[in-house]
Amino acid sequence: MQDRRLKYVLILPAALLVLGTTIWPLAVSLVTSFRDWRLTRSLTPGPFIGPEHYVTALTDDPDFANALQVTASFVAIDVALTVVCALGLALLLRRAGVLHSLTRAVLILPFAVSPALVGISFRFMFNAEMGVFTWLAGAVVPWLQGYVWLADPVAALLVLVFSDAWRWVPYMTLVVLGGLSALPKEPEEAARIDCASEWQVFRDVTLPALMPVLAVVAILKTVFALKMFDQVVTLTGGGPGQSTVTLAYLVYSIAFRWYDMGYASAVAWILTAMLVFLAVWYMKLILRKPGGA
Amino acid sequence: MNGTRATAARRRKLVMKGLESAILLLALFLILFPIVWMALTAFKRPVDLFELTLLFTPTLDNFRTIFAAPWNIGAALWNSTVVAGLTVLISIPCSTLAAYAFSRFEMRFKGALFFTILATQFIPAVVVVLPFYLLFRDLGLLDTHLALVIVNLAIVTPFAVWMLKGFLDAVPTESEEAALVDGATRLRVILDIVVPMVWPGVLVTAVFCFILTWNEFLFALILTRDNAVTLPVGITRFRTERGDLWELIAAAGILISIPMFLLSSVIQRHFVRGMTGGAVK
Amino acid sequence: MADVSLRNLTKAWGGFTAVRDQSLEIRDGEFMVLLGPSGCGKTTTMRMIAGLEEPTAGDILIGGQRVNDLPPRDRDIAMVFQSYGLYPHMTVEDNIGYPLKLRGIKGAERAAQVRAAAAKVELEPLLHRRPKELSGGQRQRVALARAIVRRPTVFLMDEPLSNLDAKLRVSTRAEIKHLQHELGVTTVYVTHDQIEAMTLAHRVAVMQGGEIRQLDTPEVIYDRPADLFVAGFIGSPPMNLVDGDHADGRFTAAGGFHATTGVARHGGRAVLGVRPEDVTVGPAGSGDLDASIYAVELTGDAVLVTVQAGAARIIAKADRAWRAEIGSTVALRLDASRLHLFDAASTKRLQPE
Ligand SMILES: Nc1ncnc2c1ncn2[C@@H]1O[C@H](COP(=O)(O)OP(=O)(O)OP(=O)(O)O)[C@@H](O)[C@H]1O
Ligand SMILES: [Mg+2]
Repeated sequence: MQDRRLKYVLILPAALLVLGTTIWPLAVSLVTSFRDWRLTRSLTPGPFIGPEHYVTALTDDPDFANALQVTASFVAIDVALTVVCALGLALLLRRAGVLHSLTRAVLILPFAVSPALVGISFRFMFNAEMGVFTWLAGAVVPWLQGYVWLADPVAALLVLVFSDAWRWVPYMTLVVLGGLSALPKEPEEAARIDCASEWQVFRDVTLPALMPVLAVVAILKTVFALKMFDQVVTLTGGGPGQSTVTLAYLVYSIAFRWYDMGYASAVAWILTAMLVFLAVWYMKLILRKPGGA
Repeated sequence: MNGTRATAARRRKLVMKGLESAILLLALFLILFPIVWMALTAFKRPVDLFELTLLFTPTLDNFRTIFAAPWNIGAALWNSTVVAGLTVLISIPCSTLAAYAFSRFEMRFKGALFFTILATQFIPAVVVVLPFYLLFRDLGLLDTHLALVIVNLAIVTPFAVWMLKGFLDAVPTESEEAALVDGATRLRVILDIVVPMVWPGVLVTAVFCFILTWNEFLFALILTRDNAVTLPVGITRFRTERGDLWELIAAAGILISIPMFLLSSVIQRHFVRGMTGGAVK
Repeated sequence: MADVSLRNLTKAWGGFTAVRDQSLEIRDGEFMVLLGPSGCGKTTTMRMIAGLEEPTAGDILIGGQRVNDLPPRDRDIAMVFQSYGLYPHMTVEDNIGYPLKLRGIKGAERAAQVRAAAAKVELEPLLHRRPKELSGGQRQRVALARAIVRRPTVFLMDEPLSNLDAKLRVSTRAEIKHLQHELGVTTVYVTHDQIEAMTLAHRVAVMQGGEIRQLDTPEVIYDRPADLFVAGFIGSPPMNLVDGDHADGRFTAAGGFHATTGVARHGGRAVLGVRPEDVTVGPAGSGDLDASIYAVELTGDAVLVTVQAGAARIIAKADRAWRAEIGSTVALRLDASRLHLFDAASTKRLQPE
């Protein structure tokens, strides 16, 4: 009504913040990605060179290809692991019990730990000589005794996944638990009375009803996995070799080790494009009006 | 006949119960063990590090050491507090006003505007930090609190708007309308009626944003060197030419984690909602 | 004090019209009730008067001044909301005092006015409680006190009694009537409860589908409903309505139902209406027509007798001592002076000459 102008005034500060802190840098990065600009040669931006950086990245850069492949593997394993574990754990935790409520109470803790600290801690615990996980793995599976986890490309990636899952699975379990508690009880009870086995109840009743929540979990986890950076720095440092260099870490290396701002911007924008694509998908999912499935 | 079937069913149930307990114990172990182990390490002397035993003589030396020169973790603690505090102080009032407008008014391009604000959550921090690094370098702002606050606003503001809108949507509008009729201006209504009613939500959002900023690593890594180093970057620096000083890392890890454990348990119920923006109740 | 006029007021959301071309003159000091079924646009009309909703078309005048473009705070109105709209974080005293605080009335003077308003609705002992520590009736009275504390020119009340139990509703209803009489403030009152409308109103506007169907005193609305909708909506149990044919002042329906109407100049399909209290049951053969008893219900103060008269079912209100077997035959007598006849096509009332 009389708030015709006021409503825009109210939005203005936040809109300016978002504009200044994300839209502006995004635009600058985009422009930079079409320029030749190495800080080692010049402190000011170089000439426009067209889409050359993008062409290089997509056709002729083994580092990019490697990072893309590492990121893809990481995302695939991480997301699958998170969704499956969170769903399983949430289904168990739905019941009452001492162990159950104890577990529910600690679910929030890992998420409060700084990802950088998680990375360092896991590096310590997978340390070859004094890592407690190294020792535990050896105690359970004898041929893993003295195994140097972080020196093996595949194992290092798995440790990276493990450290990320440690932080996210409990959190996503809370999310799924929230979704489960919002489900009506009657359909499950009706199915039980119709003599469905527990497995059939889960497959035919619970799982379909939970699908929207699981989709949110999967997409959200994909987004965060694509951005994976902190633990790469503090846990593996991208190694051994380049076996755990993710796209975000690659951008960081190009920009702040080789100081090639133009190329770094282009790679960053490729990553951004993938994330924006996912973002649109995610928004459609959650902004959808209730009753839309 | 019936008896044997009942016994079999009971046995099966017992096995399932045992399996369930085993899985939960394993989950508890996996969740808690790294935290407990790091906590223990923080009280170990360097010589005890190699001993994978729970029996050792605890010491507080590590905590004394990290606060002393050359580590001076107190400075990082101060930096983290200032940066997280300022970020929250700037972003929460702005976000509250915007969330209120999004929640209560119809406007043109509302959908598109809201969508844009939300979509920025998904933008990778590396793409944001490149231009800011160059800008701050030119302005001489590298390694300052201000630089960190500005970039952290990029992460925190969209989250805050999203969360606060959820809280505001849940508040009935009748009291606000009553105040309008009673003679209040819209701004008066926001201050006198809306903020007191949605105060718990504002607090939860503020805590949530504080945790996000406190744990932020990438910006701090790139934009700070000595003066403005925050705790997550600070803990990566406990290293000499002889290698990592694990007992000091662990002690600093406790320092960085304890306040977040406390804060997050205070707002546990709302934590999930904050992250998923009400998509999940 | 002021009069309120609505001129061709319309409110639409997208393609949906909630209030359609509505005109209404509310006199100074009048108690006007908007009555109608759920969703008919009562609240929307009231919110437009308050300034909480912007009309799509038409004008609103308060005291002769066009207020369309004034915000609520400049219209000098007070409103009682359906769920009261109390300020949950303020005490009762602060709730009542808030309108005064906004007008810069301070300290002792404010306290005195709050106390006086609270006294009118017997709230003095509760001044330091918060809304959540009050019962529904007490909250309701806080909302009333907050409305009367600053002598507005118009009161708006949106179903203020709907959240109260039956007993409290009766006593609060009387309080509202008394207060309005004492203060003499122009009042617009929204309800879907016809008893409230009948007991409180100087005039009632019966609404349906965003339009006013009849605007008159409660007596006229009850005795001479303007159309079939009003006839069926007002009265409990509702008026008996029988479909049939009408010619030369005589109404006939399938199965031998008939009545004399006194309306000469109408012929064709028609609907005859008669209120249950205007139908008397007696021994078979003693009345206008015989019918068999379908059901007998004791309501406490009366007995409702449903009879099957031809194809129609008619409810009659009998003395509370009246008894009869289901299936037995009785005679019906319709009070000829209180029959209502409606044209079937236009649904409008046909007035006897
Ligand atoms: N903001 C809105 N947007 C769209 N339609 C609305 C809006 N507010 C009300 N309506 C519609 O307008 C119509 C009239 O609503 P209104 O609230 O005036 O009804 P009412 O007569 O007060 O009913 P009740 O007795 O149930 O309170 C309803 O059909 C309602 O769905
Ligand atoms: Mg209403």
